[in-house]
Amino acid sequence: MAHPSQLGFQDAASPVMEELLHFHDHTLMIVFLISTLVLYIIVAMVTTKLTNKFILDSQEIEIIWTLLPALILILIALPSLRILYLMDEINDPHLTIKAMGHQWYWSYEYTDYEDLGFDSYMIPTQDLTPGQFRLLETDHRMVIPVESPVRVLVSADDVLHSWAVPSLGIKMDAVPGRLNQTAFITSRPGVFYGQCSEICGANHSFMPIVVEAVPLEHFENWSSLMLEDA
Amino acid sequence: MLRLTSGRLGSLLARRPTACLTSSSRARMLSQQSHEVSETVDMSRPMYYDRLDSPLPDKPYKDVLSDAEQSLKQKEKGPWAELTNEEKVALYRLMFSQTYAEMKAPTGEWKTVVGGIFLFLGFTGLVVWWQRIYVYPPHPRTVDEDWQAMQLQRMLDMRINPVQGFSAKWDYERNQWK
Repeated sequence: MAHPSQLGFQDAASPVMEELLHFHDHTLMIVFLISTLVLYIIVAMVTTKLTNKFILDSQEIEIIWTLLPALILILIALPSLRILYLMDEINDPHLTIKAMGHQWYWSYEYTDYEDLGFDSYMIPTQDLTPGQFRLLETDHRMVIPVESPVRVLVSADDVLHSWAVPSLGIKMDAVPGRLNQTAFITSRPGVFYGQCSEICGANHSFMPIVVEAVPLEHFENWSSLMLEDA
Repeated sequence: MLRLTSGRLGSLLARRPTACLTSSSRARMLSQQSHEVSETVDMSRPMYYDRLDSPLPDKPYKDVLSDAEQSLKQKEKGPWAELTNEEKVALYRLMFSQTYAEMKAPTGEWKTVVGGIFLFLGFTGLVVWWQRIYVYPPHPRTVDEDWQAMQLQRMLDMRINPVQGFSAKWDYERNQWK
């Protein structure tokens, strides 16, 4: 989750998110350089004492300011496309989970081995125990084994939703009647929060997502417990 | 600016750059001598303007001259050494409305603008203050000091953002911020 007044990204919990962080640093540096240059040019133009400002033609600088932006765009596009294809690589998942969006909660189905399914509702503010995070906690978390490739099939039961977990670098629209696939692998154990990212009605802001990455034995214990409770 | 008709604006924008292209063929760039350049016809009316970056307007400031002024213009056709200083200044004032010094002179307009900005900012501040008292709902209990402290401790226990972010800045051995 983000700490209060956080401006930047959350720490990456998956390799893809790490790549996205580095790409963002690279691109933002280019953007800052260009913006500084443009700001300097604007200030220079406004404060100049020169009166002859209507130079009509100069082939050299026109060549430079055509080729240089093209080069900069290529420098941005190459890492971008690299990450784009990286995200789509076949990764042989150990586990497939179906995340279904409803108005206004998520439900998770682990049907690889047994029939495990449960709903995940936000804990209302008045029911929080002291120290819990407002609008982020849910009664049931999506538990996964750490460092195992996981496939999530995202869909919806009624209207559009979107399953998003920023620290894993995932956002996938939940479209009724459609299965969208996304996959990830968590590099470290922990609890990762996200929120529904497609307007879906009155309680769109109140259907968060919580992913808990635990060692495999804990995951097995948890899934056995959940199956008993069901 | 508001009183400019489109014709005058066209004159301002079109005449100066196109004048360079069409007025003198000797001034044409080397690159343009190898192919045809279509004639641009400027149909705007000449206008007078005071601009720092354009020293010679389309027409003089005073077009309609009194008899005394006309005889002065006749005298201008002779040797200029015979003109007195007052006559030279008068001729300048016939040709131009403002001198460069007058054009560049500070107007103090910025004080009005900045004052207006502060006025609106202050008014907005008053509106926001009133809203805080009469409109805003009460805080949720999670904003209380003790809840925030418990939340912070829970975030540290859960190792939220341990790489470079939140928990990375906490020294777990000495139980304090780094």
